[in-house]
Amino acid sequence: MSGLQRIARPAAASPDWSRLAVRARRLGALRRWSLVGFLTLVSIPILLPFFWVVVISFSARTGGVDSAVLWRACAVLVPCVLGYAAAHVLFPARQHRMVSAVVATAVAVAGLWLLVGSDLHLDNYRFLVSPNLVEEIRGAATAGGQFPWVWNAFFNSLAVAATSMAAKVTIATLAGYYLSRFAFRGRSLFLQSLLILEVFHPWMLTIPIFLVIFWVGLLNTLSAPILVLTVIDLPFFIFIMKGFFDAVPWDIEMSAMTDGATRRQAFWHVVLPQAYGGIIAISVLGFIRGWEEYVFVTALRTGNSYWVMSTYLYYVAEDVMGVDYGLVAAVSVFYMLPSLLLYLFLQKYLTQLTLGGVKG
Amino acid sequence: MARVELQNVTKDWGTAKAVDDISLSLEQGEFAAVLGPSGCGKSTTLFMLAGIYMPTRGDILFDGARVNDVEARDRNVGIVFQSYALYPNMTVLQNILFPLRFKKVPKAEAEKSAREIAELVEISSLLDRKPSQLSGGQQQRVALARALIKKPNLLLLDEPLSNLDATLRLSMRMEIRRIQRELGVTTILVTHDQIEAMTMADRIICMNAGRIEQEGTPEALYTRPETVFAASFIGSPPINLLPGELTADGLRIGETLLATRGETNARSVKLGIRPEHVVANGHGIPAEIISAEALGRETLYTARSALGDTRFLEATSAPKYKAGEQVRLSFDAAHSILFDAERDRRLEGVSAHA
Ligand SMILES: Nc1ncnc2c1ncn2[C@@H]1O[C@H](COP(=O)(O)OP(=O)(O)OP(=O)(O)O)[C@@H](O)[C@H]1O
Ligand SMILES: [Mg+2]
Repeated sequence: MSGLQRIARPAAASPDWSRLAVRARRLGALRRWSLVGFLTLVSIPILLPFFWVVVISFSARTGGVDSAVLWRACAVLVPCVLGYAAAHVLFPARQHRMVSAVVATAVAVAGLWLLVGSDLHLDNYRFLVSPNLVEEIRGAATAGGQFPWVWNAFFNSLAVAATSMAAKVTIATLAGYYLSRFAFRGRSLFLQSLLILEVFHPWMLTIPIFLVIFWVGLLNTLSAPILVLTVIDLPFFIFIMKGFFDAVPWDIEMSAMTDGATRRQAFWHVVLPQAYGGIIAISVLGFIRGWEEYVFVTALRTGNSYWVMSTYLYYVAEDVMGVDYGLVAAVSVFYMLPSLLLYLFLQKYLTQLTLGGVKG
Repeated sequence: MARVELQNVTKDWGTAKAVDDISLSLEQGEFAAVLGPSGCGKSTTLFMLAGIYMPTRGDILFDGARVNDVEARDRNVGIVFQSYALYPNMTVLQNILFPLRFKKVPKAEAEKSAREIAELVEISSLLDRKPSQLSGGQQQRVALARALIKKPNLLLLDEPLSNLDATLRLSMRMEIRRIQRELGVTTILVTHDQIEAMTMADRIICMNAGRIEQEGTPEALYTRPETVFAASFIGSPPINLLPGELTADGLRIGETLLATRGETNARSVKLGIRPEHVVANGHGIPAEIISAEALGRETLYTARSALGDTRFLEATSAPKYKAGEQVRLSFDAAHSILFDAERDRRLEGVSAHA
């Protein structure tokens, strides 16, 4: 027995901590780098088309795209963007990120200048300044003045997106608060029916919606898509906002009321500020929904009564130019820009959505 | 600075009674402490006083006028919530200023009194922080400052000191009491800490299961508890409660017969005797020490005897007896409290001794 113990003891001696630590560090590094590598590989096919569009919009000349330019430009841009992404992940400090952004931009500009500098031009963006694009291309007779200046479509899109967003946010916020705070008869039924509505894809309702809009007399007006888009998104947005309000402690509101606030003041000063995350999130989602809408803006007009960016892009791509890739790409970039900027500046709030509420 | 009354107030949650037919009256400037186990309806009572909950039945009166229908914001009640309920989107200073915002106090004046009150609760250095950047104790003090700044008619404190360390708690107790006297504000303090209740309050209200078990001065509750619950809830270490039978011969507990004085209707009773009143001085009931715990200033023993397990205190910091040692326990008739086991009430005019 005692012999056995003597043999067993050395195995139980204190382990080689430094060796274990080295191994753990190596494993950790390996894991981290394989993850980064994997994400990079996956993101290349997703990123490439975006770069193509951007590069094409600055390089294509009437008649076609020089694919050599395309590849050379992407060979510069993709590594720069991925490099910055990696830097963003690895450096949590703001200055470091700024520095890497500057470096990446400088490298990209220099690389582009060297490789494709002579091929870049702004010609495809002339649609931004010339009101009669089609007539310039096809001659005055062709389009009959029907095709608008892009800014017309831009501001229409803006109106649709902004107005429906404002309506959605206001209604969803108030309804979400009410559903979260007040017990009324039929509340659970109401919540259930909100969920049921999500089962139907709105496109299934295109024809009834068309009929309703027709009877109401809003056909061929911008109010039609604004109204429809608002209604379609509301159930889901109400749910989101209810979730945010549910997360606001009840006693804070009561405290405000004992401090002399009316219910409305308590809502305004104390409850609402804690749901800002939700409001920003649904604002962005709601805006982008309106900005990108195609189906209902086309379904609810019978002629060319109004133009928005999506119909403008479609027209540019399909009807007029056919093969002018440069113009299509330029319009796409212009169309993409607002959504992209919104996402970039507000992504912090959008990620909160998945967490399903606010932190205290 | 109001006289506050509750008249037969009941609060139902569905079929459950959170507060069950409570009547209570507080004089202007009085400081009352509510003691009771978790879930006995303390917070619910405060919320009804603050106007957050509507009583299901009964009336709430401020200075004799019924205020059931007066809204919370018009009652001018300062309340420190159990959870502090600070406004997370505002800084500490803005939190403290919030009640003044609706009173139309000029800005400079409001800020001046906010800084004074912050000084009082020792949070002056924290005024620019957000509540999430404060410790629990600091949050509690902000909540207290916010409740005090509006010079309330009635101050309701729902365990306002539970998160403070012992030293700070001691000084805050005195601070609160001092401020309360200075403002002359009627105050109700909810606490689990009976020492807090006994040291701060003019009157203690002992609650259990939605009812008031007993109310009175700290001294009265300690020496003359009306119910077994009040006796067992107040006092630390807790009172000894020994079940027995009252007979013509005396009080029979197990095999032992104790001498009694006074009325002797036969019935089952509980004998209550506080640990500090049991003495081990060489005569009385033989017992064996089964544990000794040093509490600092004194030592708490548990001894097993024919009466059952009995706790007693000796004023020595080092244990005098060891486990297994034999002692004899006795107690005075004056310190014994007898309860009718069926009615759960104290029996007047009877006492026992050993
Ligand atoms: N909004 C509510 N809905 C239903 N029941 C409630 C509600 N609020 C409190 N109760 C119930 O009422 C009873 C009293 O609750 P209360 O909060 O007053 O207890 P408490 O004495 O403050 O306890 P603690 O010391 O734990 O804070 C509890 O049984 C509780 O479950
Ligand atoms: Mg409570």
